[in-house]
Amino acid sequence: MRVKLFFSEAWRSVMTNLSTTVAATMTVLIGMFLLGLFIALGTWVLSWTGEVKKEVQVKIFFDTDATRDQINAVGSSLATFPEVKSVRFVSASDALAKMQERYPDLTSGLSGNPLPPSYEVQPKTAEQVDELAARFEPVPPGVESVKYGKKTTERILQVAKIIGGVFLIGSVVLLTASVILIANTIRLSIFSRRREIEVMKLVGASNWFVRGPFILEGLICGLAGSIIAVILLLVAKEAALPSILGRIESPGDGVSALSFPLIALILVAVSLAVGAVGSGLTLRRFLQI
Amino acid sequence: MQETTQPPQTPSPSSAAEPVEGNGAAPDQRQAGAPMIVFESVTKIYEPHVVALRDVSMVIDKGEFVFLVGPSGSGKSTLTRLLLKELEPTDGRIIVGGRELNRLKRSKVPLLRRNIGCVFQDFKLLSDRTAFENVAYALKVQGESRAGIRAKVPEVLGLVGLAHKTGSLPDELSGGEQQRVSIARAFVNHPPLLICDEPTGNLDPDTSVGIMQLLYRINRTGTTVVMATHDREMVDKMRRRVIALEDGQIMRDERRGSYV
Repeated sequence: MRVKLFFSEAWRSVMTNLSTTVAATMTVLIGMFLLGLFIALGTWVLSWTGEVKKEVQVKIFFDTDATRDQINAVGSSLATFPEVKSVRFVSASDALAKMQERYPDLTSGLSGNPLPPSYEVQPKTAEQVDELAARFEPVPPGVESVKYGKKTTERILQVAKIIGGVFLIGSVVLLTASVILIANTIRLSIFSRRREIEVMKLVGASNWFVRGPFILEGLICGLAGSIIAVILLLVAKEAALPSILGRIESPGDGVSALSFPLIALILVAVSLAVGAVGSGLTLRRFLQI
Repeated sequence: MQETTQPPQTPSPSSAAEPVEGNGAAPDQRQAGAPMIVFESVTKIYEPHVVALRDVSMVIDKGEFVFLVGPSGSGKSTLTRLLLKELEPTDGRIIVGGRELNRLKRSKVPLLRRNIGCVFQDFKLLSDRTAFENVAYALKVQGESRAGIRAKVPEVLGLVGLAHKTGSLPDELSGGEQQRVSIARAFVNHPPLLICDEPTGNLDPDTSVGIMQLLYRINRTGTTVVMATHDREMVDKMRRRVIALEDGQIMRDERRGSYV
């Protein structure tokens, strides 16, 4: 009964203040579209750096004449290190086969197998690669060298860190900006109707009776704006993404943005919350009559 | 929320405070003789140091028609706003219909206001609503049913002489007609008390007479009417109780007074 009344009051106010409603909805729309774009792009880049980080590994090369015992000793010590995520043994013949596959010209003239056997060790996180490498200093018997592409790894980690930071700051800034923008639009719309609120209070409307329709109105604007933003994002995704992706090298199967339904959900939730809380908070000032 | 869901007859302002009168129906409470408004040494100071009312004491009985007169800035508007608990007194006690306003919780203020009809100089109508909807709003806020609204609103609009203008927006009405809508809105609940702050201030003399007659008729139904005004002619003609304020103090209080 009361809810129905709120709805009819909110709807009447949406219709009579159509220009402010449209303005508020457009503000939500723009803010949420940008935020959605940023989340999609940001999570995609983050996932990509994650994928790149996964490729960071430590390679332990043995002497070509290392004994089976020496190799096993290293292998069993690897099993005890907490930083180790997975270990793969590459025998000398495996290494040669891989080499032949990649560089057939180079390996065709070889009489024997000059390649050493090795372990490819993947750390739990890319940042642990240093620690892991340090465990093989001094190198154990039979090990020729331990390599982990120090320079490259550091580079990758640094870039990943910067990207993560930019994404985080960008999200916060964008989110704050849209919240302030939306709240401001709501404030203007309420301010232009403060006389109306005063009259409502003077004829004995309770605070909730005044607030209810306004909050509902905020919710309607938030919902409408974010749904349109989601539709636009979907269109952008379907229309623009394939032509862009066609031009850049696909970085791998594991790389993907946050799933679209989840982004849509976030956008709708954010704008609903901002719409309702924004109206509710702004009203407080005008209800002190 | 709680107070708005109560049936409208419960929060009659006098029933709670005067057990002597028993739990009788609303008309009994409008008998003359019992106080409707009591001011006890009320002082209102607007910070930092503008004294709007200084130690004002008065009693207005049920069913009275009282003019509040005095020059601008004498405290008339402050007094009416105190009655609605729009403002809090700096000092002193105010009792309206048996409710002590100082002790009234904020959440109960809407209840108080539903039992006080308000008429203002600038009408204070909702500009995007028709005459009917403006009056209906006062009923809606207290949870009146659709059927109740459909029955009461045309009746009260007929009473103020606007039966033919129910669908008009405030902009489409003359000043006098707008004031009639605002009186209809104030009276639709049949409140025991009607407060009018310069109701004829924006109207020409002929229109003012019509408004005054309307208020007089409302007063005869038992409703206490307190009217702040500048309208000397009107006050002199009506020969009703006049409380004259000056510099926030009561200068005169006459049973059948005149403006000067």
